[in-house]
This record gives sequence, structure tokens and C-alpha cells, in this order.
Amino acid sequence: MKHHISFTINGQSMELTVLSHQTLLEVIRNDLRLTGAKHGCSTGECGACSVIMNGEVVNACMVLAPEVDGTDILTVEGLSDGEELHPLQKSFIDHHGVQCGYCAPGMLISAKALLSRTSRPHEEEIREALVGNLCRCGAYADIIKSIQVASRARR
Amino acid sequence: MVMRKTHIIGKPFPLVEAQKKLTGTSCYAGDEPFGPDLLHARILFSTRGHARFQLRHVDVARKQPGVVALITGADLQTRLGATIEDRMLLAVEEVHFAGQPLAVVAAESPEAASAALAAMEVVYEDMPGVYDIESALAANAPQVHPAMATYRGFDKLDAQPERNIAHRVSFRRGDVDAALAQAAFVVERTYTAAPLQHAPLETHGGVAQLQGQDELTMWMHVQAPFLQRQIIARALHMPPENLRIITHCVGGSFGSKVFVSVEGLLAAIAREAGGRPVRLHLTREEEFLAVFMTPAMRAQVTMGLDEAGRIVAFRGIYDWNVGASVDAFLREMQRIALAGTGPYAIPHAEVQVNAIYTHLLPAAPMRGLSVAQVHWAVEQLVDELAEEAGLSPLLLRQRNLVKGGDQLFPNFVMHANGLESCILETTRAIGWQPDQNREVTGTIARGKGMAMGWSPIIISPGCKSRATIQCDGENLCTVIVDGVDVGQGFYAFITQLIAFELNFPSEWITVLPTDTANYESDWQAIYNNLLWSTGKVLLQATAELKRQILSYVSELWEEPMTHLDLVDGDVISYATQRRLSVLKLLQEGTGDGPPPVFRATGVYEATAKHDGLDGLLQSFATTGFAAEVAVNLETGDLKVLQLAGAADVGHAINPEGVKAQLKGAIIQSTSQTLLEELRFKDGVPVTLDFMTYPIATTADMPQKIHPIVVEIPQSSGPYGARDLSNHALVGASAAIGNAIYRATGVRIRELPITAQRLYDALKQFHASRTRADAEENRGQ
Repeated sequence: MKHHISFTINGQSMELTVLSHQTLLEVIRNDLRLTGAKHGCSTGECGACSVIMNGEVVNACMVLAPEVDGTDILTVEGLSDGEELHPLQKSFIDHHGVQCGYCAPGMLISAKALLSRTSRPHEEEIREALVGNLCRCGAYADIIKSIQVASRARR
Repeated sequence: MVMRKTHIIGKPFPLVEAQKKLTGTSCYAGDEPFGPDLLHARILFSTRGHARFQLRHVDVARKQPGVVALITGADLQTRLGATIEDRMLLAVEEVHFAGQPLAVVAAESPEAASAALAAMEVVYEDMPGVYDIESALAANAPQVHPAMATYRGFDKLDAQPERNIAHRVSFRRGDVDAALAQAAFVVERTYTAAPLQHAPLETHGGVAQLQGQDELTMWMHVQAPFLQRQIIARALHMPPENLRIITHCVGGSFGSKVFVSVEGLLAAIAREAGGRPVRLHLTREEEFLAVFMTPAMRAQVTMGLDEAGRIVAFRGIYDWNVGASVDAFLREMQRIALAGTGPYAIPHAEVQVNAIYTHLLPAAPMRGLSVAQVHWAVEQLVDELAEEAGLSPLLLRQRNLVKGGDQLFPNFVMHANGLESCILETTRAIGWQPDQNREVTGTIARGKGMAMGWSPIIISPGCKSRATIQCDGENLCTVIVDGVDVGQGFYAFITQLIAFELNFPSEWITVLPTDTANYESDWQAIYNNLLWSTGKVLLQATAELKRQILSYVSELWEEPMTHLDLVDGDVISYATQRRLSVLKLLQEGTGDGPPPVFRATGVYEATAKHDGLDGLLQSFATTGFAAEVAVNLETGDLKVLQLAGAADVGHAINPEGVKAQLKGAIIQSTSQTLLEELRFKDGVPVTLDFMTYPIATTADMPQKIHPIVVEIPQSSGPYGARDLSNHALVGASAAIGNAIYRATGVRIRELPITAQRLYDALKQFHASRTRADAEENRGQ
């Protein structure tokens, strides 16, 4: 079945026709060609496809496209302000918060949502916020540090 | 080579490739930009371990809407392998492992490809299979490869196909039996390690397209494109120069994207797709089912100590369950044999390494190169021996560790190394004390343990490294290498080296995606010596490039080259103080004729024979770990409170990068040690997602991580540096095992140490202690 949906993504209004079984991840990767959010498992276990939907982190592989109607979506492509990187992105570069990089868009999204809730999170809060984002390289320690430094710099 | 701490080398250096990764613009599997012309491939995998099979309704599947091409083993009978071709590209009549490819289809959409697979029916007739080492070695066991002697490459192996022994490597020095007979203390144990999976977050995938008559281009996300080109071209009977593999970003490999797994199938189906691009991108379930496993280990190890606390003898028999293919594991076996004693100078030693065929999916080494599993056994054995002899485990290690100047292997004298610093600094970091017994608070017991490690760096026979640097006005400084950045900071290293050697601003330098069109097809340096060999060729290329630039300006200025140098992006003359911007020279030239283009290539080729298996032992990476754990004695729940890891990297060219690799290795080791186990039922993997095969999350990582960098320069390495990333896990699991013993009195000899396994062991331990107490009480 086809659905007409309208939503906002990275600040832009969007209208699309989607199928009932399509996921948000398929829509943003295939229809909108925003490939920052990654396919890692398709079952909501790895967090590589994390995006922010109405202020909350969701696994885009677990959201059906029709549910997106009327929502506000932020993907990693919407983090930077034009050429100007988001402080989180800068901090990930400076503090080795990225190795192979496949988890990085999801990590940034979870971090962004965390900093919107808590401006200066403790290490324990960061660990908790990232528990749904797998990193096989084991870069967690530097990811946590990158987020901590970025949160301090924002003040 | 002196260790040069400069303004660039040895200083923190940002990750040059990180910006794209962090803005979502890097190209990983599934991200390749292709239009509506793109076809989608899917593979039909066997679901039985060992069976005869019939594939039915293939013609029906071919006629499904949207199907463009479909190939089965009946269409393409070919074998696959780098050294021994012990795999079929597609199964014919018989499957040898669950996950073996039976058919591959290309269709207009992923759904149409799936529908084509569903239209086929596989009828299996099960055959007896062998799935573990014991049953594979049993008398009259079914033979996994009865026709092995006919496979290309068989003559290079020491195999016994009738016993399911795929290959053997060993070494021996002294008289182990006599030394063990005279030893004051002898401990003999069996340790095991479960099979693991690499589980990169990016599953295997890419795009392939036929161009022209029979020229195939593949955009793949692999760690060894040159090696893959060689393997795929041979399997498909193509001239290697007709196959081109371009590698952009790799979303994690850990060894799973070195040898060919599904890439050959994508190449085969793309050749049938009429010139349209074809994408393959495995699902997570397929990744777990069908790519590679890292082999399970059984280690039977014996160590003998004399009255003076010297380790006098060692015997180790390491058996590996390599599944239905040994090809990808072969080159690790020499490494395992050399590392097999642990990092000790033992006068009488014998190590036997056996690869055993079973009906499981093919084995490939994982980060740590299986040397990590070897140390799980040896480094706990050392603690067991220390306890038996009443010695401090630290003292026993210090007394016996291998030192610079020791000659343990023919033609190899051990170099100065950081073993002692590694173990002293890690134990100090966690506050280990020799006389500290376990601390128990309520039901929580805390304990500390340590382990050391060494990992041979071996130059593979025929191994090549190449680097080309070009300076021109348009792209300034572009670099072509044959190695691939898989997240270890390889491109940052390249940029740093060139920025230093040519004295260029680092923003001029761009490392291009690896492309097999750049060099001839061959074996390549991959993981264990990538920095060493690429550093070598980059230094050649930068020296030549510098010579070219200075020679050009020397003619222009009519000054001897010896007066000239490159400083901060300028050519300067020390004699006349003249200065010329290299940027200006490249972009505008000197007035007459087009601006110059400078280009230089460095080449390294190992002298060892190309087709043999024994490489050249070049050096040892050395490591030390110390762990503190807290165990809930009632539930078996385990927390790693701290884990310190030290590695001698010779010279930390990018110190923060080195620490990042160490921290990553510490977390990945913790994951492998406590959580990971690939499980099978009748040979069929049942751990097909991250619920059943958990990897460490932020909740599982050690609470405190201490990365420690030790620098004892290696004379042959670039700036005295040595490779790290692969070796950085060697020893960590045993440090955790030794800490658990210290905390609980329970020795776990099987990996992984799951909460269930620890709970069962604690229960058994307390039951036996209660029985012993009761007997003692009766005796009184």
C-alpha cells in the first residue's frame, strides 16, 4: 500500500510516497540518498542507523516509513552547519573518536541527543546513552572522551 | 636508525580521513552511488553441515520477474584459494559446511532477488559430519576433503587428508622429554578457546560491473584488494589485469575482508549481468552464517621449572578447527609455532601446530592472529606453575623472559624489547602487589592478574609493498599505496611521514583509494607488517621525490643541489638564501613550458620464495597486560574493574593513535574473553545476530583502561617504529583469567569466560571445598 507522507529532515520539508513495508532507513538511504546512517543489522541491535526523530534517538531500521509522517528527523548529514563542523564532529577528530568509522554517524546522533538533554553529562551518563551503539573497533573510550570534551567546549 | 622526535613524527596528529566519516559522506558497502541501472545480488547458502543436495526449480527461478542472471554450481564449477584451493566457488552435488554458497542471482530489486532464491528448492540428503577436533581426528571419521591431493597447492602443505589434518607446522629445540623428567615442577594442562567471528559492523559487500569485453571493475570494501584480485581472477579464469578492485572505506575487517569469501560470487554474477552494475551487501544473518569464523583452539601445554625458578622445558600442541578450508589460516601457523612457548627463553621446547578440517565454515585469522588464543593458554599456565613452585608470577616472568641477544630460532637473534617494561608498567598501573591476596566484601571478590605476550612479525614470502607519490599543480601531493586503511590510522601515518620528509603542509597531501589498476597483481603486505613495509617504500619515494624537486630547482638557479633543501613548503638555498614556493612551482611553473610534475615510486619485495609458506621472521611485537576483576561469588557475574595494556611499538609516530589502538584492543579483548562464542548445532551456526553473539557495548568495557606506550626502537622500522594494531590484544585474556583465579580460586581454562561458565565453576569449586572441609573435620 502506498502512503503520502510529509516530514522535515535536517531542516528541510519533504513530501514522499512510500510503501507500507519500507523503513525509515530505506527512505533516507535510497530515496533521499543520505547514506550517513548505516545498515548494520536491520534488527535494532547495533545502532549504526541511529537518527533523531522528534528529539528522540531511534533506529531507523525499526521505524516504518508511514510512521514518519509529520515528524522532524535529524541525520548525521544535518549536524554540521554548512562547511562548519559541529563541535561533536570536531572533537571526534581531535580525540580519535573514530576508527573504521562505520558506527560514527550513529554515535554522533546518540551524543547529540544526549547533549540536548544534559548539557554536561558525566562519563556514566555517556556510557548509558551509547549502550545501543555498537563499535567493533572498541573505540568507546575515545568516543566517550570526545563527547565529554565537546560538552565542556560548548559552555 | 635514530629515533627522531620532531615537530611531526612522535607528536599527536589528527585523523586525516575522519572528517568524511563523521559527516556521513564516506563510501562504505551499500553507499556506492549508482543509478536505477543497479542490480541486486543475493546468494543461496546451504543450511546443512554435510549433505548431498539437489537444487530444484532453477529454471522457474530464472524466469521470475526481474531476474537478470542466476548461476549455480552446475553452471560454474571452479575452486578458490590463495595457496590451496580447498573451497568451491559454488557447491556441486555435496555441501561441506552450512553457509556454503549454492547459487547466486542478480535481479532488478533486492525483493526480486529474494523471490528467485525462494523459488528454488534444495533437497538435502544428510551425510555424517565432523564438527569438532576430537570427532575429526577419530578413527574412521568421515573425510572432509577426500580429493585434497588433487587440489592446486596441495604439494605446499604438510597434510594428511585421510586423518582430516589440513596442515602441520612445528619446531623443536633441545630435549624436552629429558628436561621435563629432571624438572622440579611440571604442570600439564589443556586450554580451549571457542570459535569467534570478526563481526565487522559493515557487513561484506560492494558493487561489480562488467566493462567492455571481459573487464570487470569491483568497488569493494576489503583489506587486501591485490590478493583478492589474484584469487578471484584465477577462480574465474580471467587474466588478473582484466579485474580491477577499487577500495574506498572499510567499515571494519579484523581479518574477515583479507581473503575472498563472497566477493568471488559477486564477480561471477556481474560477468553475466550484461554490463549493468550489481550490488551485493550481506545481511547480518548472512554475515554470521557464511563469511568466516576464527578457528577454535585446543591447546595441550606442559611446562617444567627447575629449583632455581628457570623454565627449562615446554611442550605445546595447538590444534585448530579450521572448518572446511585452511587456506586463509595457513600463514598464521608459522606465527603460532614461533609464539607458542610464550615470550620466554626456554632451552628445551617443542611446538606442534595442527590445522584440522571439519564440516564448519572456513576459518580466517582475526585481529590477534590466533597468537592471542595461544597466550590464553601459555600465560595462565605460567601462573599455575608459579603457584605450584610457590613463586611470584611476576618474578617468574621476569626471571625467564626472552632478552635482546637470545638466539631462540636459527637465523634470528632476539632484539632489544620492551617485555619487562610492559609487565612492570601494567602491574604498577593497576596497583598489583606480590603478597596481595584476594579481597572479599560480602559476595564480591576482587583480584588482580597479569600476562605478557609476544607476536612474531613475519614477512610473508613474495610479500610486496608499493607507494607512489605525485606532486602536480592540480592535486598538489597525491599518494597511491597498495595497503588499505581499515581504521588503524594508516592514512594518518602516511600523511605524517610525507609531511615530515618533504616538509610539506599536511593539507597538501591526499591518500587516494587503493586501486589494483595502479600495480601488477600479486601478494601484498596486509596486516602484521603494513606500517613497516609501507614506511620503507614511502621513505624511498619521498627521498626520490625530494631529489627530483631539488634537482629541478638546482638547474633553474644554477646552484649545486647540496645547497638546497625543502623547508615549510619552499625550496630554499642555504648558500644564497633564495626561496621558491613549491606550490607556486607546481601551479605556475617557471615561465617557460608547462609546470613540472614530480612522481616517484618505492617498491619493496620480500626475498623469500613466492610460493612457499615459510616467511622471514623479522621481529617480535611485545605486550603486557594487567587486570583487576570483581566477581560475584554467588552469581558468577564478572566486572573488569581495570585493564592495563602496554605494547612496545618501537617509536610511537602518532602517540594518541597508538593509545587509541591499545584502548580499542583492550575493549575488543574484553569482549572476546567474556562474551563471544560462535555456536553451532549439527554444524549449523545458531548465533546469527548480536543478541546471540553479543559483542562488548559501553556497559561491558572495563571501568578503567590504562594504555601504556613502550618505545624500544626497532632499527629496521620507519623512525624505529613497529606495527601494533594486530598484536595489541596478545595476552589480555590470560590477564583476566589470572585475575579471576586470584579473586576466586577458580581456574577457567575455556574461552569465553561467560557468567554461566564462571557460575558453574564457582559452584563446583565450593562443593568440592565443602566436601574437603567436611572430610577434614571428620579426620579431626
